[in-house]
Amino acid sequence: MSVRLLVGTTKGGFWLVSRDRREWEVSEPFFKGWKVTAGLRTSDGRFLAAVASDIYGPAVYATAGGSGSTNPDAWEQIAKGPAYPVGSDRRLRQIWTLAESRGVLYAGVQDAGLFTSGDGGRTWAGVPGLNDHETRDGWMPGAGGLCCHALLFSDDPKRMWCGISAVGVFRTDDGGASWLPRNKGVSIVLEDRRHKEIGTCVHGLAQDPVDPNRLYRQDHSGMYRSTNGGDRWERNEDGLPSAFGFPIVIDAGGRALFAVPQESDEHRVPADGALRVFRSTDRGDSWRSASNGLPSSNAWGTVLRGAMCVDDLEPGGVYMGTTSGTVHVSRDLGDSWTNLPVAFPRILHVSAWSERWPP
Amino acid sequence: MASVTIALPALLEPVTGGVRELSASGRTLREVFGDLVGREPRLKPHLFDESGGLREHVLCFHNGVNTRWMDGWDGPVAEGDTVLFMQAVSGG
Repeated sequence: MSVRLLVGTTKGGFWLVSRDRREWEVSEPFFKGWKVTAGLRTSDGRFLAAVASDIYGPAVYATAGGSGSTNPDAWEQIAKGPAYPVGSDRRLRQIWTLAESRGVLYAGVQDAGLFTSGDGGRTWAGVPGLNDHETRDGWMPGAGGLCCHALLFSDDPKRMWCGISAVGVFRTDDGGASWLPRNKGVSIVLEDRRHKEIGTCVHGLAQDPVDPNRLYRQDHSGMYRSTNGGDRWERNEDGLPSAFGFPIVIDAGGRALFAVPQESDEHRVPADGALRVFRSTDRGDSWRSASNGLPSSNAWGTVLRGAMCVDDLEPGGVYMGTTSGTVHVSRDLGDSWTNLPVAFPRILHVSAWSERWPP
Repeated sequence: MASVTIALPALLEPVTGGVRELSASGRTLREVFGDLVGREPRLKPHLFDESGGLREHVLCFHNGVNTRWMDGWDGPVAEGDTVLFMQAVSGG
C-alpha cells in the first residue's frame, strides 16, 4: 500500500508519493505562488485543496473524476466556493480546514466561520448557527488570525465540534443549528467583558478513534483532554517540556497521541534548537519524547497546527512539515524518523492518504 | 457596447486555465467588470471582495489610469480599451 502526502506551503503544493514510506517521489509544485492551506480526499475519491493569496484571496480546487480515476494533477477551481456575501463585514481570507462526514463537506475558514456543501463541493453555504453565534461580537483573532481550523465529528450524526482561535471549542448537538461553547476547565487567554465562556485559544484538536467523546486539545494555555465531549477539560501535561504547541494528532490504530511542544508562546521555537515530537501511549496520562532521528541541534523551525498528520496503515505513519520547509516521516508510530531531502518553503499543511500503487 | 481587453497577472493563471488575456464588454467600467466575472465567475473572489470593490492589494488600470483615482466605475469605456489587473506593491 502506498502513501500520498499533500504538502502545502506558502508558495505552492507538492505531492510526495511512496510505495514503502522509505523512498519518496516528489512532484513539481502546483498552485505555484499560492499558499496551500488544507487538503481533503473525498469519499468519492477526489482531492480537494484550499489555496490562498494575500493579494487574491482564497479558493477551493478539486480534481475531476471519482475513486480510482481521479487525476491528482488536474485541478479545477470550484466556482461557488465558501464565500461571505457582498456587504458583509467579514472577509474570507483563508480556508483552514476541509473535512467530510456522512457525505457532507465542511470548510472552516478565516474570518472565523463554517461552510458546508451537500453536493460534493459544487456549492457551499454558511452555517448561521455558528457564524452568527451570540458570542460573535466577542471573538478576537489570535496571532494566526480569527480562524475556524479544527473540525471533529461523532457517531451521533447531530453532534460535531469546531475549534476557533482565539475563541475556543464549540459543540453542536442538533446538527449545526445551535452551538455551545465547550471550554470549562481551560484557562482563558483573552477574556471577553461579557462572554465568559469564550476567550480560550484552541490550537489543535484530536479525537479518540474508538470513543468520539474522548477529546484532546493542544491549547495556547496548555495540553488538555476531555472524556465527556468537551463538557469539562483537564490538563494532561505530564512529561511535556512545554505545554505550548500547535498540532496534536492521534493514530487510528494504536491510539497514540503526538504533539510538538514549543519553548513558549513568546518564543515559539523548538527548545534548544532540537525538533522533538512527544508521544503519549496512555491516553494522555504521560508524554515521552519520540524523536529518534529528528534533528537534535540547529533546528529552529517548528510545526504549525495543520502540518502534522497520521496515515491509516499498520504500523501507523506520522508525518510533519516545518516552518523551515523540512519534511519528517515516521513509519513506526514515532519510534524512528526519517528527514526527507527536501527544502520547501514554509509548510502550512500536511495530509496523508494511503492508496494502492499504481492507482 | 464596447469590447475591452482584460490583462491578468500570472498568479491568476490557475483560475483561468492559463489564459492571461480576456475580452469583456460594456458601456462603463462597472459593466465591463460585471461582464468579466459573468464570463469567468472564478475570477470574482480574486479581484473583488465582500465590500463589492477591488481587493485591498489588487490594482486596476483603465487605459493606464489607476481606477482608484477615478470617481467610481461609471465612466464610459470605448472599443479597444485596455483594463490591466495587477498586484499592488502594498501586498508584499
